[in-house]
Amino acid sequence: FACPSAPGGANIAAGAVVCVESEIRGDVTIGPRTVVHPKARIIAEAGPIIIGEGNLIEEQALIINSYPENIMPDTEGVEPKTMTIGINNVFEVGCVSQALKIGDNNVIESKADLGKNVILTSGCIVGACCQVNTCEVIPENTVIYGSNCMRRVQTERPQPQTLQLDFLMKILPNYHHMKKTVKGTSTPVRN
Amino acid sequence: MASLLQPDRVLYLVHGEKKIRSSLSTLYFCRYCSELRSLECVSHEVDSHYCPSCLENMPSAEAKLKKNRCANCFDCPCCMHTLSTRATNIPAPLPDDPSKTAMKKAYYLACGFCRWTSRDVGMADKSVASGGWQEPDNPHTQRINKLIEYYQQLAQREKLERDRKKLARRRPYMPLAFSQHTIHVVEKYGLGTRLQRQRPGAPITSLAGLSLKEGEDQKEINIEPAQALDEVEPLPEDYYTRPINLPEVTSLRQRLLQPDFQPAGASQLHPKHKHLLIKRSLRCRKCEHNLMLYYFSVRIMSIPNLRFQKECQVLLTLTNPVESITHVTLVGCEEGDPEDINSTAKVMVPTKELVLAGKDAAADYDELAEPQDFQDDPDVVAFRKSNKIGFFIKVVPQREEDGDVTVSFKIRHDFRNLAAPIRPSEEDDAPTEAIWLTHHVELSLGPLVA
Repeated sequence: FACPSAPGGANIAAGAVVCVESEIRGDVTIGPRTVVHPKARIIAEAGPIIIGEGNLIEEQALIINSYPENIMPDTEGVEPKTMTIGINNVFEVGCVSQALKIGDNNVIESKADLGKNVILTSGCIVGACCQVNTCEVIPENTVIYGSNCMRRVQTERPQPQTLQLDFLMKILPNYHHMKKTVKGTSTPVRN
Repeated sequence: MASLLQPDRVLYLVHGEKKIRSSLSTLYFCRYCSELRSLECVSHEVDSHYCPSCLENMPSAEAKLKKNRCANCFDCPCCMHTLSTRATNIPAPLPDDPSKTAMKKAYYLACGFCRWTSRDVGMADKSVASGGWQEPDNPHTQRINKLIEYYQQLAQREKLERDRKKLARRRPYMPLAFSQHTIHVVEKYGLGTRLQRQRPGAPITSLAGLSLKEGEDQKEINIEPAQALDEVEPLPEDYYTRPINLPEVTSLRQRLLQPDFQPAGASQLHPKHKHLLIKRSLRCRKCEHNLMLYYFSVRIMSIPNLRFQKECQVLLTLTNPVESITHVTLVGCEEGDPEDINSTAKVMVPTKELVLAGKDAAADYDELAEPQDFQDDPDVVAFRKSNKIGFFIKVVPQREEDGDVTVSFKIRHDFRNLAAPIRPSEEDDAPTEAIWLTHHVELSLGPLVA
């Protein structure tokens, strides 16, 4: 999906299912087989966002590449940093992610909050309502759970949600209008 | 009314051994004494055991046998949440034809909260959905059982000895009935600590000097005393230099929840069966009858207005949970009332009697019902809605301090005890005789606005 992205526009690969009610602002690239639910928000303010394939971004999830707090948006000389999201990740309902680098097969559960300085590797699960805003790289297969954000390591990574993705890719176009994809034929819009 | 977030705004006074003030949702009502009771003036009994996740009721004997654990449900050893059984399809060779593989269901336990699975500790997937999971055996079980048997026998002997002594000597310095003490001893499997409870003056029975009663031929159980070892297993050599693998170290809580093994490593944390919970039955101490969950005639709900150092009106609501009409009178506390210790404001309650309509379950659905006609004084009664009534009281905060403004008064209402048994001794006893109950109520209205 490495195609030149038009600045200021969303670049949605063929095979991705992105509902029209979702809000995508800025320079966002979405890979194939990714499902973006209505009311999800992907905002690329301070730099582009590249989302891989097979991701599931549920309602009211917020993926935002924002400016660091002490820098005004108009400052010159600030390099736009790219936010990269790998494959097979799940962003559950209501989560907020500002992490600049997310690997593969992660699950960010409902209402979790990832700060700007966290880097998720692969197979991590950030539990519901857990706020992770430390400046660190979370090792692989870590589970963060509980009100105190306890951690443990699990022995196997979470399974990719292929069944769910297939189901959604069939059902969502029946009830929502889709955003147009870039390459190939656009997904037919049904009433 | 007590709500989840503000439980203590309306307090009722309970006349028990201690005067307790608490909100109505934590109080009980004894129908026979017609009095409010709180948890402290009530005796608890174990009613039944049940599992909190599968809600299976178990008789007490069975619960004791299973050590108060549920047979079907497991707890996650990592976060103590309930484990759920999940199924996967795995290809497995058919028993008839080893060359073909068919999809068979394999079950494993998984925790929804911390994502622990039974595969993490190496437990193999089972082919049956429930009943396949076993807890690992405690290596010391045999020794423990033998010790328990020995001490059980010992306790029984002691009991017999005491019985014999009591019947034989009848000294006055043995005031306690034997049953109360020795039942504890026998039922709790007579651990050696019971010997400490020797009453002064009673001879200390030594273990060696016990003799069997005639006619009893119990098998002598001998236990070997525990051996003290001189040599202990040495620590591994890299004990001090090996870096700690923090996710592998178990927390104290995880360790102590499994007292048999107390594993230090997370890969040895096995799931335990879920603990059963107890349903209590509460008995009134005075009349020894079972209590109802509070069955009380009226409740007060407070919706306070702004408060200043001046007189202001507070709107209260009364709800009538019975189906008959209830009459309520409010009486302010007099000067020097011994129960009135907390109020910081003067209150003027309506002097007239308030009448509350009965609760009519069909009132919501019955559109043709005529509204009952109560002559309501608009100064007193704010609104009336089926079995609810809102009325005003006037509050004058007296003290200008930082705490909450508290107001107390007495509420007197009639109560028909429909559930009490009809006493045959009284001749003209109407079955629905009304008793007048008086309760002392305290309301906490919140801080002063300056």
